[in-house]
Amino acid sequence: MSAAQDPSPARIAPLDEIVERDQVWSRMAAKWGVENPVPPWKTSLDGLCDALDRASCDENIPDFKQRRDEEDELSATLYADLPYPENQLMSLAHSLVIRGVIDEAELKQRLASIRARLEA
Amino acid sequence: MTDHDHDHDHDHDHDRTVAPMVDEITDFEVLEIALRELCIEKGIFTAEEHRLMTEFAEQIGPTPAARLVAKAWLDPKFKELALAEPMTASKEVGVDWLHPTGWGTPSDFTAFQILADTPTVHNVIVCALCSCYPRPILGNSPEWYRTPNYRRRLVRWPRQVLAEFGLYLPDEITVHVQDSNQKHRFMVMPLQPEGTEDWTEDQLVEILTRDTLIGVALPKAGVTTNVIVDTRPAIHPGNAG
Repeated sequence: MSAAQDPSPARIAPLDEIVERDQVWSRMAAKWGVENPVPPWKTSLDGLCDALDRASCDENIPDFKQRRDEEDELSATLYADLPYPENQLMSLAHSLVIRGVIDEAELKQRLASIRARLEA
Repeated sequence: MTDHDHDHDHDHDHDRTVAPMVDEITDFEVLEIALRELCIEKGIFTAEEHRLMTEFAEQIGPTPAARLVAKAWLDPKFKELALAEPMTASKEVGVDWLHPTGWGTPSDFTAFQILADTPTVHNVIVCALCSCYPRPILGNSPEWYRTPNYRRRLVRWPRQVLAEFGLYLPDEITVHVQDSNQKHRFMVMPLQPEGTEDWTEDQLVEILTRDTLIGVALPKAGVTTNVIVDTRPAIHPGNAG
């Protein structure tokens, strides 16, 4: 399935909640007096995208062009209010859920467990 | 820090020795970790593969490309090599295109070419399809390079888009827009600007900014930073005229 072909991309609740909370880097950096132009997770996201692009073990995994097409589409629609690279990250998450690579409930549970782990 | 007397005169400045950090966990940080962990658990890639790719993303930048062009400006024989065998020339500035990460390329890259400007031809690169970019030698692409706005409009109205970067080219200069793709990557070798004839390689490297190597700016004595442009919102592909 290609989100790029869907005129009204499906909403994904855990991602909508992230949009709602709006913890974008520009806002957080200003709040804490940090001057780094990009968030610390950016290079890990780059590594994640590169690693995904090399993975061809599952037909549901978007290839490079599909991933970028879907990012363009989603960054202009559902995640249009987010800046880069937040919209890149959210679009990737959206693509992986819509394609069934990651289950929505599984993502929700994992977000909660990782937050608990990091805040422990 | 020990609990000693803090009223004494400091010979250092705590504000300058400890950079501030965002001291709370953000949703985006959590999401990046979640996606990565789930992909690893599902066997899509390994933690080691991700680490190698992340290290690659962290260490790349535009300096090797700048040095390559500076060398070419100073050495006609190296310029000849750079244009005829760009991958060999890249090795001389520390970039091995076939093994940029130490274990393989981040795409199915097969060819790299350097586009030399002339007094009558100006080159500029784009990836109309997605955002292919000569990352091993030029680092990660800037945000605007990835936008559909730049990608679509540069191909159709190159002079207008270049003007938005502050680059106004006279009509007698032909603009050559080179479209990259996943297999073919390009970078621009601009002309050496006037007033830099007796400069050292290191001095020349400083004015060879990322933008000049993409082709949206021209190198100029005294200019060592990239143009900052507003990122225009992407146009919905289905609504594009």
